[in-house]
Amino acid sequence: MLELNNQYTAMKRRIDTEVLKLFFADELEDKVDALPYSIIPKDRIPNRCCIYKERAMVRYRIMALLGIDIERFDDEQKPLKAYAKEIIENNPPVLPLLTTISTGCYGCPPDQYRISDACRGCFARPCMANCPKDAISFINGQAHINEERCIRCGKCMDVCPFHAVVHIPVPCEEACPVGAVRKNEKGVVEIDHKNCISCGRCSRSCPFGAIAEKSGLMPVVKMIKNKEKVIAMIAPAIEGQYPGTLAQIKSAIIKAGFSDVIEVAEGAEVTAIHEAEEVQHKKANGEGYMTTSCCPAYMELVNKHLTFLKERYSDAYSPMIYTAKLAREKFGEDAKCVFIGPCLAKRVEAVRKGGVDGVITFSELAAIFMAKDIDVREEAAADLGNTENFADCREFAVSTGVAGCVLSRVENPQSIRTQPINGVDKKMFRLMKTWEKRAPEVDLIEVMCCEEGCLNGPGTIVKPMVAKKLRGGNKAATPVKSVKSTI
Amino acid sequence: MKKEKVQVKICVGTACFVQGGSDLLLYNDFVDPAIIAECEIEGSSCLNACKADGAGAPYVEINGVIHSKVTQEKFCKLLTEAVKNNA
Repeated sequence: MLELNNQYTAMKRRIDTEVLKLFFADELEDKVDALPYSIIPKDRIPNRCCIYKERAMVRYRIMALLGIDIERFDDEQKPLKAYAKEIIENNPPVLPLLTTISTGCYGCPPDQYRISDACRGCFARPCMANCPKDAISFINGQAHINEERCIRCGKCMDVCPFHAVVHIPVPCEEACPVGAVRKNEKGVVEIDHKNCISCGRCSRSCPFGAIAEKSGLMPVVKMIKNKEKVIAMIAPAIEGQYPGTLAQIKSAIIKAGFSDVIEVAEGAEVTAIHEAEEVQHKKANGEGYMTTSCCPAYMELVNKHLTFLKERYSDAYSPMIYTAKLAREKFGEDAKCVFIGPCLAKRVEAVRKGGVDGVITFSELAAIFMAKDIDVREEAAADLGNTENFADCREFAVSTGVAGCVLSRVENPQSIRTQPINGVDKKMFRLMKTWEKRAPEVDLIEVMCCEEGCLNGPGTIVKPMVAKKLRGGNKAATPVKSVKSTI
Repeated sequence: MKKEKVQVKICVGTACFVQGGSDLLLYNDFVDPAIIAECEIEGSSCLNACKADGAGAPYVEINGVIHSKVTQEKFCKLLTEAVKNNA
């Protein structure tokens, strides 16, 4: 997966901010068509082939931000103004979540192993000896791979003493755990939405930005602008994403126009209690292993690919759903509940389960802050209320954290054997398939589709290793000092 | 006479922090410890440089001079230079 900080994310954040600035100033329709030109000025040295393509890509990013399904509704002659008008009048459908930008796709050549010039044509030739398909031959004293025979096992790469074998993957295909990203007959990326689990790995892995998520930001900022009662449900992973404490983040969110804030950790406590009861019940009755159910990409994975796990995952709703219920009890039935988190798949869950009026990511919230010129660091601390009961559930955002919260709520924690699934990639997906034949010998399996947990979700801003150092207490108020003192 | 340390301020205002500034906090992992020893590194509120030109985050101030678009690599180079000039 791509490094979190790269030119593409920087560009995305800039575009998000500029679009929001126009939106809040009531100038979106009038000025949106000029944005690609002001963001990519003509004297810019382009990173793509030319500034015209860069501008076209900015246009597509704006469309994705507006929530338009680029795959189906891209009309090159239609000005952005017309799209913006439609979006301001009606909210676009949420699904499918991901959309491809065929113009941006480089059309990478198929996944392959290649022998580089570093090959010395050595005497031992371990590549040849270890190739299971006899695909390696020596021509003019250098190894060559016969593409037709090669099965891309990578053994030659492992054994070459000169590291002369290179693997050239197709990043999006390699990233998709379930094989839902493919090239079509034109060699351009295509997502098989029937099989896609909305984990967002492909969109994060494409270095050309050719896969975008259709954002849910516009419906939310529309509600804010209309002064509706919008409650921000902040995911436990939020701590450490901004330069300020949870209490400061809360007041920044309220300043941005939300009516109030509720921590999703509060709903996570309900989930943890429910799962604790369930796992003890299952253990007592010898019903075998149970998995958690809070990761929405995992839920999609089960429903689309691992149907035998349907009877294994917990009946508990996710923290987001419980929190929405709590928010309505607390703030009234007319409250609009918006989930602010690191996750793209949560939008799919919100559609499937209902009760949640919007889902945006941390990076989109950051764009709102920047557009409204709000500095979290300068905000006074808001009152978080009594957090004693659920404070530990903020750990839901970290791998092994959910299991930890469940264990601390069972009577006899030592008796429950747990196993974390820390990130679901191709290999982990294969392993999980084997559970059908051979049940894992544990009681509770905690599944998180992102490595390290939600802290590493596709909507995050800060690297998990930095975010972890800023979590807890007042650490995020003095980021430089906090990171330094923990090393 | 005791040598003055190089004064380094990393902007940790929201705009800088979310546009790559958080990466600079890991300076212990990518800057030579001998260089760090010569510097006084601290976080700072918004340096107000972003108000003038919007596209330069993250900003870092070194001995009173503000630098824009500071990546880990650039940070390393700037500090090394500043320490050299300080000697």
